Amino acid sequence: MKRALLVILVVVIALTISAQRLVINSYMSDPAPRRVFAELVDQFRDLYPEYDVVVNTFPHEDFKTLLRTWLGSSDAPDVVTWFAGERMRFFASRGLLEPIDDIFPQGFEADFPAAFKSASSHDGKIYFLPQSWYWWGVYYNTEVFDELGLSVPVTWKQFLDVCQTLKDAGKIPITIGTRFLWTAAGWFDYLNMRVNGLDYHLKLTEGVIPYTDEGVKRVFDYWGQLAEKGYFLDNHTSYNWQDAANFLFTGEAGMYLMGQFIKDVAPEAVKDNIDFFRFPIIDGNIGVYEDTPIDGFMIPAGARNKDGAKVFLQFIASREAQEYFATELGRLAANKHVPAPDAHAKKGLEMILGSDGVMQFYDRDTDPEMAEAGMNAFVEFMVFPNRVETLLSNLEKERQRIFE
Amino acid sequence: MKSKRWWVPYAFLALPLTMYAIWVIIPLVQTLILSFTNWDGVSPTYEMIGFANFRRLFGDPNFQKSLLNNVRWLVGFAGVTVPLGLLLAVFLDQKFRGSKIYKTFMYLPMTLSFVVIGQIWMWILEPRTGALNSLLALFGLGPVGWLSDPSVVTYSLILAASWKQISYAMVLFLAGLKLVPNELVEAAYVDGANAWRRFFSVVLPMLRPAMVIAVTISIIDSLRAFDIVYVLTRGGPFYSSSVMANYMYVQAFHNYRMGYGSSIATVQFLITLGFIIFYIRHVLKKEAEL
Repeated sequence: MKRALLVILVVVIALTISAQRLVINSYMSDPAPRRVFAELVDQFRDLYPEYDVVVNTFPHEDFKTLLRTWLGSSDAPDVVTWFAGERMRFFASRGLLEPIDDIFPQGFEADFPAAFKSASSHDGKIYFLPQSWYWWGVYYNTEVFDELGLSVPVTWKQFLDVCQTLKDAGKIPITIGTRFLWTAAGWFDYLNMRVNGLDYHLKLTEGVIPYTDEGVKRVFDYWGQLAEKGYFLDNHTSYNWQDAANFLFTGEAGMYLMGQFIKDVAPEAVKDNIDFFRFPIIDGNIGVYEDTPIDGFMIPAGARNKDGAKVFLQFIASREAQEYFATELGRLAANKHVPAPDAHAKKGLEMILGSDGVMQFYDRDTDPEMAEAGMNAFVEFMVFPNRVETLLSNLEKERQRIFE
Repeated sequence: MKSKRWWVPYAFLALPLTMYAIWVIIPLVQTLILSFTNWDGVSPTYEMIGFANFRRLFGDPNFQKSLLNNVRWLVGFAGVTVPLGLLLAVFLDQKFRGSKIYKTFMYLPMTLSFVVIGQIWMWILEPRTGALNSLLALFGLGPVGWLSDPSVVTYSLILAASWKQISYAMVLFLAGLKLVPNELVEAAYVDGANAWRRFFSVVLPMLRPAMVIAVTISIIDSLRAFDIVYVLTRGGPFYSSSVMANYMYVQAFHNYRMGYGSSIATVQFLITLGFIIFYIRHVLKKEAEL
């Protein structure tokens, strides 16, 4: 008996020592994605018992500031969640990330859309593994729309009418929570793409077009039409995005410009009453463009277990893992062999396939510092629309300093 | 004998001094050096850029907002919470039914961290369903954007922080009141001084040391305000409730401008240092008198 116990003890110790530690830091802190990611990690553990996987989950906003510290330290985590585009490039260009070209033996395009490659690369090397992507749209409460006999607006004029009807009925036409700023950037992106088109928006985020340009001013004219009439939720700076989403779920508010992940926080009872429509068309001569952010994973250059990290990323890239994540959360898988998981996602995918081009999102497309200054100005504009001149001239000063 | 053991105090001090050097002195010097660089917090290299950070700092409207807010905190803490703490202390120093229970209630906020206090006030100040606006609605007033109206938000934060700061001042004054000899007050009473006169001419002068400590500590606390701002507003909306520490955090850790953030920290340090020197000199003087 004693011997048997001893043998078991020795085996356990041997296994623990031989098991390779794999540390994953994740920002998936909302209950739904957190659960699905934990299940994915369990599947990985079953497939690769030799790894001792540790997942640390951080609140989204804290993660954004902590990542810098981890990447700079010598004891970095092995895998981190992050965003494609400029936000990844900021770290890649400073040599803080590990290139992952070798985890795509048949090449990136074999499993992923060619359009994702540039958002995942820097200087010809791939640093980012796309896991899922989603679309932005104007989410609305179908019960509220039915009750007031509203139909989905297609043009800007129709959109303003819908807002007015909602307001007259005592509803909040558009809910938004700007405590963490980025929700306001969705409005800027869409208005700029609808008013000035994709090339213009791209040049603006690249820091080429001045913020005092006439085109930018026109964007704020349209935005001002909504702000001045009081169509946005009052005191929106007090709320985070989830708080503001509650007003949509309870039917106090009619609409919310948001990404598909709003479904993650919708209570079961109202999930089916929440649908979306394409952001209204402002100028029929300009193409239809959308925001489609890509989320995924990176390996820090200072990771201890890079081989293990690559095995994990290969698992995440696999069709099965991508399909599981997308299906459970209703997102679109980055792996192009995975079909849209449900009717809602199909509708989203069709909207994107029917568009003329896509961006990521303001804070993923432009320099982080510019994004911080820009988003603060957007929120200030929503509260004080008459400050637009000062705000834009301040932003222009920041643009010149940052992009010089 | 004495000279042979000159090293003994140093041996005892070696450990604390080493720790102090590692966690205070060295980072302090590093911050000073970084404030003259353009380090982004992640790159392996950086350049020395002289006083450029400081020149920009004083033309930065958001830094000016933050500095002004620190002044508001200072006035609120030293000018409002200290007198209120004194008032409470004098009141609770009386013996009356349940005075111990009241004292305990007043002590309680002291035991909470600012993060917890921030969370509690988040519920109180919530614009649509929060306690304060619900109360105002009963009288047909409001709603007030306690945390969203740029002209109100800093005062809401100071109010929330005062909840703890007042009890802190109160504790200092309660201790001070214990040191006021009863004979003096009684003598004044016998001489015909009324309650006001007894308080202002006898008790208050005796409380002077406690007063100096309460005011200086409040000033230093107001200058290092950070946690409650971070929890309740993160300095927003658009920096209207930002304080220096908060702005430093945003610049250094959110905007990846470690050099610029360090220059903010340096300015904050120099301002605070002035008050700390005043405080320490006062304490040393007191000790010398004793």
